[in-house]
Amino acid sequence: MTKHELIAPAATKDLYLPVMAEITDVRQMTPLEKLFEIKLPGGVALGHRPGQFVEVSLFGVGEAPISVSSSPTKKGAFELGIRKVGMLTEMIHRMQPGERIGIRGPFGNGFDMAKFKGKDVLVVAGGIGLVPLRSMINYILDNRGDFGRLIICYGSKSDTDLLFEDERRLWERDPRVEFHLTVDHGSPAWQGRTGVITTLIPGLDLDLPNTLACVCGPPVMYRFVVLALKSKRLAEENIYMSLERRMKCGVGKCGHCQINGSYVCQDGPVYHYPDIKALREAL
Amino acid sequence: MARFYLEKGKVAAFIAHLQSQKPVYAPHRKGRNAFAFAPVERPQDVVLDYPRTVSSIKKYFMPAREELLSFNLVENTCAQPAVAPLDAVFLGVHSYDVQAVLKLDHNFVTGNPERNYLTRRQGALFVGVGFTPDRFHFSGSVGIPAGDTSGCDLFLHHCEGGYALETLTPAGEGLIAGFKLPAHTAGLPAAAAFQQHIYVPQAKLKDVLAHGYDAAVWEEEAEKCVSCGTCNLVCPTCYCFDVEDEVDITATRGSRERHWDGCLLRSFTEVAGGEVFREEPAARQRHRVFRKFKYISDETGEPWCVGCGRCTAACTAGISIVSIVNRLVNDYDAVKA
Repeated sequence: MTKHELIAPAATKDLYLPVMAEITDVRQMTPLEKLFEIKLPGGVALGHRPGQFVEVSLFGVGEAPISVSSSPTKKGAFELGIRKVGMLTEMIHRMQPGERIGIRGPFGNGFDMAKFKGKDVLVVAGGIGLVPLRSMINYILDNRGDFGRLIICYGSKSDTDLLFEDERRLWERDPRVEFHLTVDHGSPAWQGRTGVITTLIPGLDLDLPNTLACVCGPPVMYRFVVLALKSKRLAEENIYMSLERRMKCGVGKCGHCQINGSYVCQDGPVYHYPDIKALREAL
Repeated sequence: MARFYLEKGKVAAFIAHLQSQKPVYAPHRKGRNAFAFAPVERPQDVVLDYPRTVSSIKKYFMPAREELLSFNLVENTCAQPAVAPLDAVFLGVHSYDVQAVLKLDHNFVTGNPERNYLTRRQGALFVGVGFTPDRFHFSGSVGIPAGDTSGCDLFLHHCEGGYALETLTPAGEGLIAGFKLPAHTAGLPAAAAFQQHIYVPQAKLKDVLAHGYDAAVWEEEAEKCVSCGTCNLVCPTCYCFDVEDEVDITATRGSRERHWDGCLLRSFTEVAGGEVFREEPAARQRHRVFRKFKYISDETGEPWCVGCGRCTAACTAGISIVSIVNRLVNDYDAVKA
């Protein structure tokens, strides 16, 4: 084994030290999900790319990876869409504007938006998968001239847990957005489309060579969306996806997020489909 | 560099000489048949002839539990605790455990260098010692002969009546300065042979592992596995960890602590909402073996297993990593021959 030059401790970064940031706004989106606006000290930019995540922590409760939901084009603060699923998120849901929360990051690769320039972008979001992809959607809308068509396919379990209602209504009306929505099971009041997200894909009219798809959703969704995109004859090279794992440390050390040999917190969470096709634990 | 003769009767004095310079950690008997590294209090308690310690010296650089942050819940503030360099001599370390530290160095230096590990690691000197391979050791198969001195500052080769003390670095020379020893001029006895072997040369392991993803051995071994994670706990190159917050009884203060975790535990890949990404014990077995022989190895060009035999010796279900790898070799040969 080659001996490593041991780096002087003083030259290392504060890997595990959170910055205390202020919650400046809280919006209830659904019974389970809230959108938190968070301001770093002095209003400095988080400096993230769409698709990156931060580690959010409450002292005495713990820390968890949460994807950034706002576009880097939003200045002064960033947003996190948080579902109440455990102790930490339950406690975060009780927090009010003015309270402070620990933030580390941003971490992960995020989407390389330069690759999407001039392309038609097909966003396929299942459930809470819309939270990270909203960062990209808003980035495209704020730089509209740099991209081709913006096609959004959003599927949700039911119409009662649809996210980002205000923005969704804007997207539905916006002539620059092609917005398709479906729910698995609609309530009696639901007048929209019913069916799983893959049912939206066959009807799409795509300029195949010029379309890049971005997929994010629950684990079970990916392989079926990929199948649907492939039967649509979209090339595998044109598919990107953002994956969820347990990114405990965010800095490539703790091991929890590994997919085969790949650390999702370092190489992901955004993957080019041809690269993870060979990673058997990925999808 | 140079070789000196350290007769058995002078070992305690030699240890005392080391202690006069730095704290010394060395193997001690623990219970009837176990050995563990511990700070040396009395030189005569040190055991230099032992098969293996329960844990490696990893525990000093990356403790089983350590505080990453201390926090004040009233003020909602936190601070990073000061970590001090160990600045110690590790005496009586087997070659594979020295190599394991060098591998951990790689993991904690590359990517995001980690301060706690690098701080503790400062000033550590290694005095290796030869060993007689037992039925679990196989470090010879992963490129680490029993008398491998690389990474050591001093090395104690077993010889007639005591040890041939070899100096390997200026720091090692400094450690013995002032301690009078005669030169060792005789040859060294041949190192004892290993009883356990991986049947292929290291270079071929890459192909074997690449071929073995769907091998039957994973399911077969997983049937015995109880997912206790002991193999992870005793491994000198496992460094995965979990992080948890602890609050003291006044509920005003607490700390964020990390502790060793293991990929054989089902909860290791569990995410919010309950999804487990390596649900099957077979997938977890494979992950561990691939971590030791493929994933990091594909990047660094060497096995990340050091052949100490701890995981096999400690396994509650009798699973042997050597048998697993050799099964993969057989599968590979059956197809490629």
